[in-house]
Amino acid sequence: MSSILRFLAFAAAMAACVAAQPVDRTKPPRTPPIPPYKLPPVSETTLRNGLKIVLVEDARYPLVTARLNFMAGSRFDPTELPGLAEAVASLLTEGTASRTARQFSEEVDAIGGSVGAAAGPDALTVAGNALSENTGKLLDLMADAALHAEFPAGEVDLYKRNRAESLKAERADPAFLAEEKRLRLIYGTTPYGHMTATLGSIAKLDAAKLAAYRDARLTPENATLTVLGRLPAHGELMKVITDRFAGWERRAAPAPGKIAPPPPRRQIVLVDRPGSVQADIHVARLAPPRNSPDFFPMLVASDILGAGAASRLFRDVRERDGYAYDAHTEYATQRDAAMLTAVTQVRNEVIEPALREVLAEVDGVFAKPIPPAELTHVKDYMCGMYVLRLETQEGIAAQLDMIQTLGLPKDYLETYTSKVRSVTAMQVQAAARRYLSTGLASIVVIGDASKIAEPLKKFGPVRVEAEK
Amino acid sequence: MKHLLGFCLLLASAFPARPASDFVVPVEAHKLGNGLRVVLSKDSAAPVVSVYVIYDVGARSEERGRTGFAHLFEHMMFEGSVNAPKGTQDEVVEGNGGLLNGSTHPDFTEYYDVLPSNKLASALWLEADRMRDLVITAEKLQNQKEAVQQERRLNFDNQPYNTAISDVWPTLIFRNWQSSHSIIGSFEDLKAATLGDVSKFFKTYYAPNNAVLLIVGDIQVTETLKLVETYFGDIPAQPAPKRVDLTEPDFQAKEETYKDPLARVPGVVMGYPGPSRRSPDFYAIHMIDAILTAGDSSRFRMDLVKGKESAIDYEADLGWPFAGWLDYRDPEPYALFIKYKPNFTADQVIAQVQDEFTRLQSEPVSAAELQRVKTQMRASFLRDMQSSLSRAKALAQYEVADHDAGLINTEMERMLAVTPEQIQAAAKKYFNPRRRAVLKIQPAGEEGK
Repeated sequence: MSSILRFLAFAAAMAACVAAQPVDRTKPPRTPPIPPYKLPPVSETTLRNGLKIVLVEDARYPLVTARLNFMAGSRFDPTELPGLAEAVASLLTEGTASRTARQFSEEVDAIGGSVGAAAGPDALTVAGNALSENTGKLLDLMADAALHAEFPAGEVDLYKRNRAESLKAERADPAFLAEEKRLRLIYGTTPYGHMTATLGSIAKLDAAKLAAYRDARLTPENATLTVLGRLPAHGELMKVITDRFAGWERRAAPAPGKIAPPPPRRQIVLVDRPGSVQADIHVARLAPPRNSPDFFPMLVASDILGAGAASRLFRDVRERDGYAYDAHTEYATQRDAAMLTAVTQVRNEVIEPALREVLAEVDGVFAKPIPPAELTHVKDYMCGMYVLRLETQEGIAAQLDMIQTLGLPKDYLETYTSKVRSVTAMQVQAAARRYLSTGLASIVVIGDASKIAEPLKKFGPVRVEAEK
Repeated sequence: MKHLLGFCLLLASAFPARPASDFVVPVEAHKLGNGLRVVLSKDSAAPVVSVYVIYDVGARSEERGRTGFAHLFEHMMFEGSVNAPKGTQDEVVEGNGGLLNGSTHPDFTEYYDVLPSNKLASALWLEADRMRDLVITAEKLQNQKEAVQQERRLNFDNQPYNTAISDVWPTLIFRNWQSSHSIIGSFEDLKAATLGDVSKFFKTYYAPNNAVLLIVGDIQVTETLKLVETYFGDIPAQPAPKRVDLTEPDFQAKEETYKDPLARVPGVVMGYPGPSRRSPDFYAIHMIDAILTAGDSSRFRMDLVKGKESAIDYEADLGWPFAGWLDYRDPEPYALFIKYKPNFTADQVIAQVQDEFTRLQSEPVSAAELQRVKTQMRASFLRDMQSSLSRAKALAQYEVADHDAGLINTEMERMLAVTPEQIQAAAKKYFNPRRRAVLKIQPAGEEGK
């Protein structure tokens, strides 16, 4: 049937049977509360070699998603070799004992999937997906990468040359420069204080160092395999997993060291980026990590300040004052520490009033009680966004992977909504007073020093640093 | 009141007996008395609904002296309507646990709300109110002029490559001003926009008969249709807008070099005038794009990044940079952008890319490679369909461009039917160096290479 015919048929039917409902269109419609959402059932087991297995049946689509999570992120980079974890991750899929890099990538593409690894601050995760009919093959490829990577000399050299160039390209991005600087200011010389490789550390990489890191940290006792999707029968799947992973020799990885960031203090650093037509403002402080009792009140505080278009920074800095296109907060939680940052990018001429406004907004969260309507609004927003995040397999997998990475309780996702709902205005204010005061904040600005250094000095001593 | 005939036919015909493709997007297309097309797609996988409104107007509809106007107008749509004054949209959508946004493209403008599914009525109320009664004032206009200029600074003027790509590249690949002007616009033109311009644009293009409403996710169809009629049914239709002439004069090969003060590594943009949307060559070129760029075993990665070690990264598509194969509207190019290592010259990289096209012209793609690429394509479609918003976007493109949202279930078949011979023929027909535009982007201060 042609579209036109369908439309005509419908228009007639519509006129006959669907009379417009009498509603008051001057007010938003009343709708029921946000529905509860239950994760699909999770089954957990541990192989004899210590590898933890998490299986989640999600049959909505003929797809499978998997994560092999190791506590092996950049916090374990040797001091003299920043970027080692990310190099290991990148090279796991570039050649194994039985497959060349080309064979590996052709086999991955042939199952309609992808296999790749990346290192965050805490975890190194091998991530894969495929059409569900190829679940066995996907697990075979992921195991091959994690257990049998060979780090061939040609691939290592290519990685070093490409990473040096991509690092130069990244350094053209003001957001990259800002994150690098604020990690250093907030986390100091702790392992969370560095972001990625340097040209010097890239030059020092070789196959032996990569293999040594892999052997020390990519061990079954230090790993969790999560498989999610339209799965084969449980027994069949466990047989595939056992075949691929049970022969892996049991080994423990050295425990991570303690992270002790320096006490917060007010400092202003301007990273000079000549030619910048705007100033990127980042106001950052150490904040409680996700497993802290202060986390949920702080998360609410952060979202009141800078999540979504109804948040204070967006409403005032962008909509009311027109200083910026974007104004938001970022709450980056690592396993053992976290950082909360207010971020905006403003044109050079308004740097002074804009920064003054951002600081006032941040301090405003604890200066006055949170109005009840605003608190309810932000909680509804958070609970709804939680449901939205779990729409896709990748979304659920990312949450399950985060639970492993940050060492969160098993019921973290199930109890998220009720924990958000139970936060009181008093708790938000108390947490904000403790963690947000800009009197102790690190202020990082990326921009053209010849244009913005003078106005910045009105906020205190400014350290101007050349872009590396 | 069910109109499931089209849907049943689709169920019977789509994806015959292939594993992992037992998946069909339900599609119900309707039309209100005022001409508003309504497409529903019910899927209970997650308690989420996407409400997506697409207006059939974009940057290519702009008039001279008003570049950037379509985008400026998009901002005005967030400035409040009669029953939902400024701030209400954010309050209502986010306060109901959802997110909202909009964006402007060469040939369409989109607005969407994604919410927990039982909050559907909130989004319909908001979208209908601004379609019926947008409030346009001088103060709001001034405020949004500032915001748009700030957006330009953030995403274009302060980023490497983007100014060259948004302002210079269109002048090389197009000759018709409608397509060759900057989509983000100039500061001068933005400042010159008047309230009269805004009101006229709203009345002309933001009429129900120039829009499609898509509702995708965990919905009850009958109830949803009632709500749609309640909120949208009495918005008056307007005369159909006059379509701008996008005809391109004969293509002339052009080449230009842009010195970019923010770039650290050089880049090159290459483009070739492309085929008509949904013509046989369209599918063949989409397949060529996948052979060159999709997946870790793609030819650009294997040959340029790894083999010759020239490319650092790359992007490419039909309609690149502002469109993709899904929202491709001819006339548009197949275009690509490669960042490369400074020990190569732009001409060397251009020659390497042209060699890839020559290989496609002279050697049939092997069965194994083609099978791999097709499997990737099928899987990538399924992954996209998990998100109600992605599904809504795809349905919207098929409805606006082709007047048939149901194509979402049949286009994959046409893609997967492309043969090695068709690929070879399309490569010969389109990827001719004499029908090629080139933009070299060099870090400023370095010798042109």
